[in-house]
Amino acid sequence: MISRVAEHCFWMSRYLERCENTARVLDVNRTLLLDFDVPEEQQWKPILIISGIHDFADASNSEAVQHHLTWQAENPCSIVSSLANARENARIIREIISAEMWERVNYYYLWLHGPRAEAMYEHDRSEFFSQVKRINGLLFGIAEGSMSHGEAWDFFRMGKYLERACQTARILDVKYHMLLPTPEFVNTPIDNAHWTAILKSCSGYEPFHKQRHSLEQGTAVADFMVFDPIFPRSVQRCLLYCQEASHKISGRKRNEAGNEAERMLENLIDWLRLATIDDLVKAGLHESLTKVINTIHDIGEAIRRSYFDFDEARVMEMLTNGQQ
Amino acid sequence: MSAPTSTQEPHLWTNYAPHPTAWDELFDGAAEPHDHCQALVQWLGQLEFKQFQERRHTADLVFINQGITFSVYADRRGVEKIFPFDLIPRPVAGDEWDRLEDGLLQRIRAINLFLYDVYHDRRILREKIISEELVVKSKCYRPEMIGFDPPGKQYVHICGTDLVRDPKGQFLVLEDNGRTPSGVSYVLENRVVMKKVFPKLFQQCKVRRVEDYPQRLREAFLSVAPPSAGHAPTIVLLTPGPFNSAYFEHSFLARNMGIELVMGQDLFVHDERVYLKTTRGPRRVDIIYRRVDDDFLDPTVFREDSLLGVPHLMKAYRAGNVTLANAVGTGVADDKAIYPFVEDMIRFYLSETPILKNVPTYICARREDLLYVVDHLDELVVKAVNESGGYGMLMGPSSTVQMRSEFREKILANPRNYIAQPVVTLSVCPTWTDDGLGPRHVDLRPYIVSGQSSWVLPGGLTRTALVKGSLVVNSSQGGGSKDTWVME
Repeated sequence: MISRVAEHCFWMSRYLERCENTARVLDVNRTLLLDFDVPEEQQWKPILIISGIHDFADASNSEAVQHHLTWQAENPCSIVSSLANARENARIIREIISAEMWERVNYYYLWLHGPRAEAMYEHDRSEFFSQVKRINGLLFGIAEGSMSHGEAWDFFRMGKYLERACQTARILDVKYHMLLPTPEFVNTPIDNAHWTAILKSCSGYEPFHKQRHSLEQGTAVADFMVFDPIFPRSVQRCLLYCQEASHKISGRKRNEAGNEAERMLENLIDWLRLATIDDLVKAGLHESLTKVINTIHDIGEAIRRSYFDFDEARVMEMLTNGQQ
Repeated sequence: MSAPTSTQEPHLWTNYAPHPTAWDELFDGAAEPHDHCQALVQWLGQLEFKQFQERRHTADLVFINQGITFSVYADRRGVEKIFPFDLIPRPVAGDEWDRLEDGLLQRIRAINLFLYDVYHDRRILREKIISEELVVKSKCYRPEMIGFDPPGKQYVHICGTDLVRDPKGQFLVLEDNGRTPSGVSYVLENRVVMKKVFPKLFQQCKVRRVEDYPQRLREAFLSVAPPSAGHAPTIVLLTPGPFNSAYFEHSFLARNMGIELVMGQDLFVHDERVYLKTTRGPRRVDIIYRRVDDDFLDPTVFREDSLLGVPHLMKAYRAGNVTLANAVGTGVADDKAIYPFVEDMIRFYLSETPILKNVPTYICARREDLLYVVDHLDELVVKAVNESGGYGMLMGPSSTVQMRSEFREKILANPRNYIAQPVVTLSVCPTWTDDGLGPRHVDLRPYIVSGQSSWVLPGGLTRTALVKGSLVVNSSQGGGSKDTWVME
């Protein structure tokens, strides 16, 4: 398919995934704050940090932070921006995605810009965030059932799971920034509440308890969210899905090295395959997660170089030498 | 008029007041429906205002949710307009349409022969049927096309010819759009929406299908593929990009024709062949349905600042390795100062009598016409020869003294750039307004598709002025559109 179009596919799903995860993070933090007395200046700081926002003037104002991350069009991480970007990518490749899918992206985009969404945000915020979270799931479902599962679909999936892996790592990293009053608070109700909140923000609460039964210690949650082989939001599971899509695109066989992006992805997967949660904790959970996040960013760049940036000069040379 | 038995609720036709002089597309002089409109008028007459309003609302929602928009402003996200759609269709009688179709096919044959002649032997110029100066000084004349045979010798693959109907009911040609005419996606979408909103009406009135357009266009392109193309030629639609006001249409057509929608940056030329940049390397392109004007097509030949085109595309074109639709240089036929000669072209090339008449046109490049025009500005419509979309024109009767004096200066400074026509009182069609149905002026743009042979889409885009009394129907000037029904 056309390189430019593939890139729009890839980014459309990334933005949809981002939109969902921002809503997840905001929602879970709100819920958490209802139960615990956290000093005001610390309530929203972790959320800003994982969103990469370090200079927000009104960081201790709960409403201001939520507004900034939900409605601020100038903020590239806000829900409004993510959905607008997803929709703009969809608009450009309308002839690639299915009509049903386009209609729904457009519908939610209009909904978010209309008075009903605003009223819901004011009067029933929890439902508002739930609604935003549903958008991605619904659109993915519609896409799965209405768009051909060819190359465009694989780029869509590759973007989706790469972004989700990154978002899960970020959400987990929130815990690092949620300061406990003193080290003695480890494994106390406050600490556990934090971990529970993290799980819930990733829809991981029930799957976690089905497998682990109890929250014996916090790192069990981290273990689950990074390594669980079947939980659909664990970093490892997402990376494997991403790899699957990537192999379908390149047609690469198991014993072949693959392109730059594939090699980097495989390295990250292998690194995680050989590590345990204790290794990550020993190296520092925050540092380990930062490594994951940065590597995912680099993989995104490699994907761009491998598929989206068409090297005209090189191809011309190939054509001249008669290999078409 | 034709009001059904009175009830409490006003019905659709209750307050319809016909236009005093214009031809009405639904009713005759005695306020009775034309024969081919009877079933439609009767069916609509059963609707109450409220029901009609509900259906209007449904129709608007379809357009909004599908994002069927005609204008997007790059600077502000979310500012997209829907093209106002009026639910009362504009019917055309079947036999009348058949005659129109013959007239349009005759016209396109002549225009095509004219273009070939202009870029080859120039017989029509040598025999002084059309002045050579008028042609070679046209902004749209392309010397690059001299001596070149486009595949299948076809130039205007898609033509949108604007027709108006005068108060006597006669259809006249206002202009031919032979460069990159737009609007056909609205014809198709309008029909989809009408079928959604008034399904039962379509069972009562037999209306000719428009849905085949994308396939017809595709077949036409394939019939004029370059000789170098293989068994399954690759067709792409070249768009200026998502910020172009017609992007919706480009995307719509690509989707419905099953072809790739590309931007200039997605293509490149190597060894006089055109390639598409794909995730699996280069892929040969055989036919380009380009919605980019000549000027922007190839920066190495035309405007060098263009980022929309493909460098060296003209080389590949002239080598016969790619079909461009429409061909380069067709604008010389849709130049408004050359359009008045189409009837002469028909006589000259086909030795036939023109079936369709033009609106009488004064060509300011001619001295006597110029003198008449500057003296009668208050009675005429003046148009710049290469503008479209209702830009660069003066509506004489509704203009101010100052506007006229400014236009007089402009015309005198560059007479070649202007033509003038008497004001035609366009026909009207009942149209929804804030006060119920009222007569509003309409025109009609049928689409003629040509490959090895030609085909006319039954119907076309009916554009309607929404302001009372206005004769300007362009969407850029606040006009709307209607579904056009060619009756069986």
